Amino acid sequence: MKGLELIKKAFALEEVERIPWVPFVGVHGGYLTGVDAETYLKSTDEVVKGVSKAIEEYNPDGVPVVFDLQIEAEILGCNLQWAPHNPPAVITHPLANGTSLADLKVPEISDGRIPVAVEATKILREKHPDVALYGLITGPFTLALHLMGTDIFMKLFEAPEEVNAVMEFCTKVGVKMSEYLLDAGCDIIAVVDPMTSQIDPMTFETFVTPYCTEIFDFVRKKEKLSSFFVCGHAQQNIEAMCNCKPDNVSIDENIPLDFVKEIALKKGISFGGNMKLTVVLLMGNEDDSRENAMECLDMGGKKGFILAPGCDLPMDTPPANIKAVSDLVHDPYKQDVVRALEKKESTLEIFNMKDYGQADKVIVDIITLDSESCAPCQYMVEAVKKVAPQFEGVVEWREHAIKKMDAVTFMSSLMVKNIPTICIDGKIAFVSQIPPKSELVAAIQKRINAKLKLKIQQRKSKILLLCSEEAECTGIKQNIHRAITELGKDIEVKVISDKEKMAKYGVAKGPAVVTVNYKLKSEGIEPSLDVMKEWIKEL
Amino acid sequence: MSELLAQIAECIEFGKINKAAPFPPQMKGQDGADELTKQAIEEGVIAQDILTEGLMVGMQKVGVKFRENKVFVPQVLMSAKAMSTAMVHLKPFFLSGEVKQKGTFIIGTVEGDLHDIGKNLVSMMVEGNGWKVVDLGTDVKAEQFVAAMKEHENAFVGLSALLTTTMVNMEKITKAIKEELPNAKVAVGGAPVTADFCAKIGADAYSADPQGLVEYLNSQVA
Repeated sequence: MKGLELIKKAFALEEVERIPWVPFVGVHGGYLTGVDAETYLKSTDEVVKGVSKAIEEYNPDGVPVVFDLQIEAEILGCNLQWAPHNPPAVITHPLANGTSLADLKVPEISDGRIPVAVEATKILREKHPDVALYGLITGPFTLALHLMGTDIFMKLFEAPEEVNAVMEFCTKVGVKMSEYLLDAGCDIIAVVDPMTSQIDPMTFETFVTPYCTEIFDFVRKKEKLSSFFVCGHAQQNIEAMCNCKPDNVSIDENIPLDFVKEIALKKGISFGGNMKLTVVLLMGNEDDSRENAMECLDMGGKKGFILAPGCDLPMDTPPANIKAVSDLVHDPYKQDVVRALEKKESTLEIFNMKDYGQADKVIVDIITLDSESCAPCQYMVEAVKKVAPQFEGVVEWREHAIKKMDAVTFMSSLMVKNIPTICIDGKIAFVSQIPPKSELVAAIQKRINAKLKLKIQQRKSKILLLCSEEAECTGIKQNIHRAITELGKDIEVKVISDKEKMAKYGVAKGPAVVTVNYKLKSEGIEPSLDVMKEWIKEL
Repeated sequence: MSELLAQIAECIEFGKINKAAPFPPQMKGQDGADELTKQAIEEGVIAQDILTEGLMVGMQKVGVKFRENKVFVPQVLMSAKAMSTAMVHLKPFFLSGEVKQKGTFIIGTVEGDLHDIGKNLVSMMVEGNGWKVVDLGTDVKAEQFVAAMKEHENAFVGLSALLTTTMVNMEKITKAIKEELPNAKVAVGGAPVTADFCAKIGADAYSADPQGLVEYLNSQVA
């Protein structure tokens, strides 16, 4: 099974034999065919050529027809600045420059560049009947921002009725655009509303929910599918997005995929994303792309997940990277290889941490991205650097900049998840926040005290004397005490005469002697299973 | 007196502009940053104290809340608006030299990029933390940055970009600045920018949020 059928199955949260894959090809289609962004987005032929090329090269289950959030804005009077390698940018906001809302009309199907999207959809529908076609519309909040400019943010509080009126209009535009695209042959309407990442959940519920819900309801009535695209730090709004009842939510790398998975599935909604656009797909190589895709595939799973980049692919994304992802998606063997490679790296040296931080000195490790380039990292390193000399050689400190592989291994061995982090003797002490000097000193001192206590306790031992009758072991007891005194040891002697307690030591009949050596192995932390096994082996 | 400064800080933190402002609802009908700052000056509070112990305290709290995802862009903009309303009253003291700023920060969105929301937010936060900000606008070329830095000696500079295609211009601009002014400190930021990228192009500082930049700038003049 492939294409639309497979995507439908994923949208319905049914188990799939292969995870569907939707590369968000926008102006990248022009890159594949050698035209600039402006030429591409203004021509039906170019869009058809670019998308067809992408279908041929990337073997996708679905593709967007046109990825441009300025189509509606342009028709409604926003001036655009065109660029060769990007979709155009909105540079004027009519409602901020004297135009009144009453003057704006919902676009007709023949207005502006709508015909490019509509005609391209019709031709692609004919040419590729099995591939799911995504019709993208500008989400109402993002369109409202195009129309009002950043004033919209303050007007949320200062003139809420005005914002609502604009949102109502933008929703009408969205419904109409959905209708044009669905009638032309799109299978899925994607409401792309990235600007909602800039507002809090309450504002979202007040100013976005009612409007987006209306668009999704409309698509449902047309018996087609819908998706809610967002990019940026929109983690706070995922639940509210799901409550708008789209069939799918799609997010970028700024939101952890497992977080979205949990919420979306709980709400009975499928989800998609979130391959890294810049650091991996644009700037990385094929290995990086495969590794990142594998991570997403394993995290997303075979129920309700669509593999996709976080957002519109940058124009000059190397096609080899996207092909590598496509090959991986279609080849379970390649997936196993990538998984195995990953495993090898992630299990490195983890076992050797069992005695870490047990030596006399206290070791302070600072896990950073690189203190030279990351300001918070730099402050954290400096904080430790300043404090360490106060302990006159008792404290050693090191920086682990995770740009190097061995530092990454070290980081995962210590189970560190955030950058920057300070570990004291292998235990996570400060995460992200740079500790005030006094707190850092106190934390190190606490560890020094704990070590001293540990040392004293390590010397402590016990001798258990097991005998059913007190009289039975008087002789032994005397000998033990004499031996202790002669050796000058600090050993406690305890007599146990309770039958049941004796049985616990495997002794049915006294007298018997059991020696006990206490060795405190850890305090205040939860050692991992592997570490525990190592300890138990010593017994 | 310190009570009054605390009230001013609170107005900035919650974006209470003036008495008439409906936002935030919990402060409805109360005096805002506008009235309280005026009152403080009339009562003879030192202008520098109004800035550092009132306005900046509020702005700092907003910066931290923004970083921690407790408030978002709309709330920060309200705080910035409250801040600029208060600053109007302090302007004469800036001009007379009675109030000192920590330094100058030049900012612009790089060549080819027209996005200004992020850049404006950063400007407001940096200004609200006691810096003079020179905003060069959007689509700013290397020469414009260099010229501005020559005009404002010892200024720090910040480059903003929203697009993956324009962020590559940061490298060109950073190099041009460093060539002319080897001691210049260049900070970079924007959605696609990472610390890795910052290191790669030889810039001096990156932060994912405005507050991180404020901390960096403050650390450089402390």
